[in-house]
Amino acid sequence: MAFEAKFFKARFWAECPAKFETRLKRTIITVLLFLGLAGLCGVRAVGGPSASASQADAAQESWRTEFYNICGKTEDAMTFSQEELTDLIRRCDSLQPQIEKLDESRKKVYLERLRKCRGLYAYVLDAKRKEKK
Amino acid sequence: MNRKIFTALVLILVSCGLFCGLALSQTGIKKKRPLPYEYGRVVIDNYSEKANLAPVVFEHWIHRSMFTCRVCHVDIGFAMKANGTDIKAADNARGYYCGTCHNGKMVVDGKNVFQACSRKVNVEDEKRCERCHSYGQKVASDFDFFQFSQPLPKERFGNGLDWEKSEELGLIKPASFLPGVSTPKNSLVVQKDFALSPKVEGMPDIIFSHKKHTVWNGCELCHPDIFMGVKRGTVKYSMVDISQGKSCGACHTTVAFPLTDCQRCHSKPVQP
Repeated sequence: MAFEAKFFKARFWAECPAKFETRLKRTIITVLLFLGLAGLCGVRAVGGPSASASQADAAQESWRTEFYNICGKTEDAMTFSQEELTDLIRRCDSLQPQIEKLDESRKKVYLERLRKCRGLYAYVLDAKRKEKK
Repeated sequence: MNRKIFTALVLILVSCGLFCGLALSQTGIKKKRPLPYEYGRVVIDNYSEKANLAPVVFEHWIHRSMFTCRVCHVDIGFAMKANGTDIKAADNARGYYCGTCHNGKMVVDGKNVFQACSRKVNVEDEKRCERCHSYGQKVASDFDFFQFSQPLPKERFGNGLDWEKSEELGLIKPASFLPGVSTPKNSLVVQKDFALSPKVEGMPDIIFSHKKHTVWNGCELCHPDIFMGVKRGTVKYSMVDISQGKSCGACHTTVAFPLTDCQRCHSKPVQP
């Protein structure tokens, strides 16, 4: 009995490397594939790098669009009503925190540009209020 | 005898010194009037000398021939006072301030505009740096003022050029929009010109042309930073304030025609 066991063990270890290697490889590949797929799904589900990058792009685009929408009207400032001017000033104020989050250079440039266009709307609004009086 | 001559000479020198001192204390030190090619020159030294570089010399005349005031002072964000912008090399390298145009890619008159500042600088770049960091250095410029000014209509002061007429005649075409930088806008409804009465009797009225100013500046460059008065006549402007760079003096002591050109503002014909 002891001899048989010993023989079996010896045979197993003699044949093992080739069998074991292929099995091990298969298992590793399967596990890796599974992990990869799971990772990919997980990343998609929680909004991983690709999603956050596009979201950041969209956010960047949204502040810029809003900036151009607000400050692109300075030439028409005199034609606006007091309500319209008040709304433009409010939009300037709500855009400011978004610009403050940008990198140093952009922040410096766009805050100054925003300050100028907000200043103009406030100036025209003030003029209109005084005109009414 | 020699001693007497020496004493007399010393006395003459001392009295001359006293006389000059007295004269200066009464009249102040006369500022040297800039030469036509120097007028509008700005020396910028926010960080240059700290970085062992010569301060930047900025020539307004070449830039204003290509772009309106608004492009640089509103859209790009340059302050209206020298050293007021706090420009850093990193800002330029990222494509802001000077780097907006000086990026090595922009083409003006068929030429690539040289890059202002870059993150990595090698020995070969030194010459490029010197093109702007040129204060106190002998640097040859690509643009020659005399050659440039030759075909343009002349004026008496400042750069010696009539910039407005130059544009009217199509001799210069300053761009008022920089793609990707400027805010797209509708064309401006021009405000009417108006007259302002001077304080000094007999002096012709000032005719302020909104049109002339808004074409190059837009609205937000002047209001409310430079002109904060809302109702006409409520803010009193004085020539002393103006000569110190306030109100009209923000541009008309530095870049636009200077205050010595009286009749360009005091232009309303005097009624007999």
